[in-house]
Amino acid sequence: MPIEVKDLAHIYSTGSTHQSRALSGVSFRIEDGEFVGIIGPTGSGKSTLIQHFNGLLKPTSGQVLVDDRDIWQKGMSLRSLRQKVGLVFQYPEQQVFEETVREDIAFGPKNLGLSSEDVAKRVEDARKMVGLPADLLDRSPFELSGGQLRRVAIAGVVSMKPKVLALDEPAAGLDPRGRDEVLENMTKMHRMGMTVCLVSHNMEDVARLCQRLLVLSEGKLVADGTPREIFSRSSFVAEVGLRQPEVVSLMERLRSRGWNVRADVVNIQEAYAEIIRELGRRQGS
Amino acid sequence: MIGSGVIMGQYYPALSPIHSMDPRAKIVIAAIFMIVLFIGNNFWAFLVMGVFAAVTILLSKVPIGLLVKGLRPIVFILVLTMGLHLFLTPGPAIFKIGPLTATWAGLIQGTFIGLRLVILIMFTSLLTLTTSPIELTDGLEDILKPFARLGVPAHELAMMMTIALRFIPTLLEEADRIMKAQMARGADFESGNMVKRAKSLVPLLVPLFVSAFRRADDLAMAMEARGYRGGEGRTRMRELHLAFRDYLAFASTVLLTALVFYVRIRFGPVITGPL
Repeated sequence: MPIEVKDLAHIYSTGSTHQSRALSGVSFRIEDGEFVGIIGPTGSGKSTLIQHFNGLLKPTSGQVLVDDRDIWQKGMSLRSLRQKVGLVFQYPEQQVFEETVREDIAFGPKNLGLSSEDVAKRVEDARKMVGLPADLLDRSPFELSGGQLRRVAIAGVVSMKPKVLALDEPAAGLDPRGRDEVLENMTKMHRMGMTVCLVSHNMEDVARLCQRLLVLSEGKLVADGTPREIFSRSSFVAEVGLRQPEVVSLMERLRSRGWNVRADVVNIQEAYAEIIRELGRRQGS
Repeated sequence: MIGSGVIMGQYYPALSPIHSMDPRAKIVIAAIFMIVLFIGNNFWAFLVMGVFAAVTILLSKVPIGLLVKGLRPIVFILVLTMGLHLFLTPGPAIFKIGPLTATWAGLIQGTFIGLRLVILIMFTSLLTLTTSPIELTDGLEDILKPFARLGVPAHELAMMMTIALRFIPTLLEEADRIMKAQMARGADFESGNMVKRAKSLVPLLVPLFVSAFRRADDLAMAMEARGYRGGEGRTRMRELHLAFRDYLAFASTVLLTALVFYVRIRFGPVITGPL
């Protein structure tokens, strides 16, 4: 179920004195099974952009096509769209409201009008997907730790069985272990065939996880490519107000000191391999 | 979404002699004006008060359209009162509709009461239009201070008002976000009958309350961390000082009161009989 955005523009509070242009002229296409990262400084329009994917925001101009059909066409059901395109907001634990974890995860499937067996199965699948211990299901969500609650909230969206999942900073504000678990979940979902779209400020995370990056700056799409392509353009990255992953900077500094290492590594494993190879070469000579 | 189209607060920012008045003076004058409006018992009084209100409006630079718009919520009450007076006052008939008889006395009395309401709303809305919420609460706090000895928690009331005003936009924004998050989970806020709709608000209200309580907690902590311990001995960054223009305004209010008393005695009530 590809998502395509054509010349998308969004203006908040059109016509009033405080109208502000959040997006303009954004076009791209996300194919099935991609793992896409959306990066850009604060206020660049990332959150606004993903809220267009499932019709929570209506474009001021331009089109959003899901499965090659304009979602704002007459006769398109936004509710069925929202089942197919899941959206996890920033700090999603704030949306949890039921008395038990089980009921909260079941909220989405129940809204879809499924039978109670189906709902129970969805809850179980979602629980496993986010790696939540089974004994937490009957606890009150407000007794859980931050990391657990975050996973409950994500499970609440995953239980809708979306084909595309967009997450807005899913790891923000979690401790290192919570971060790892949440990011691990996303890789798992991607492996199971979901298209994943990750908005993040963490360059290490996107470099490690994503196959493709969309870079937004001041509401415009300024780059679209693999992490390797994008992070190797160090002046461009600085210009849009981001920074390179630390390993990339490290490689550049090593090169400036005459080390013969590749500059286009994006994760620690690659960097490690490069440095070991170079060290071996130096010792050999 | 929620809140779009709603004008937050009513403050109309402008540079005018009325805007720069001391908020305490404005509150007191508005209160006196209201009392005087009810002392006036004939159209002459309303003429005097209408001129006073008109001059104030002109000085305030608030567009007249905005004030007229402010009358919209009371149109229903206005029509109802005027109608009731028109048909329920005994006297010589003008016309009849079924069992209802419109009378001349009723027409006069209805117009009189209606006019009073219009002047009242127009003048008092000028208070909130020309005074920012912060100034207003500062002024109220100062006015209520003498009553502290009687147990009126003046500072606390003012602080509560300030905080409430401060958090209205924040909560609206949050409501909007939570609503979207639940819609992403298939929630439906728009269709169904009353009961279903009321039920559909649970997923919105619970998180909203939870976060409001958390915010209140955080705010209390942050205020204490910065040494807040109530109004006792607290100084202000912007102190209120009565200036020449405030005394001038007081003087004209006194003059207005005197004039209204004069026309009350001189011309007598417009309607004989109880109002």
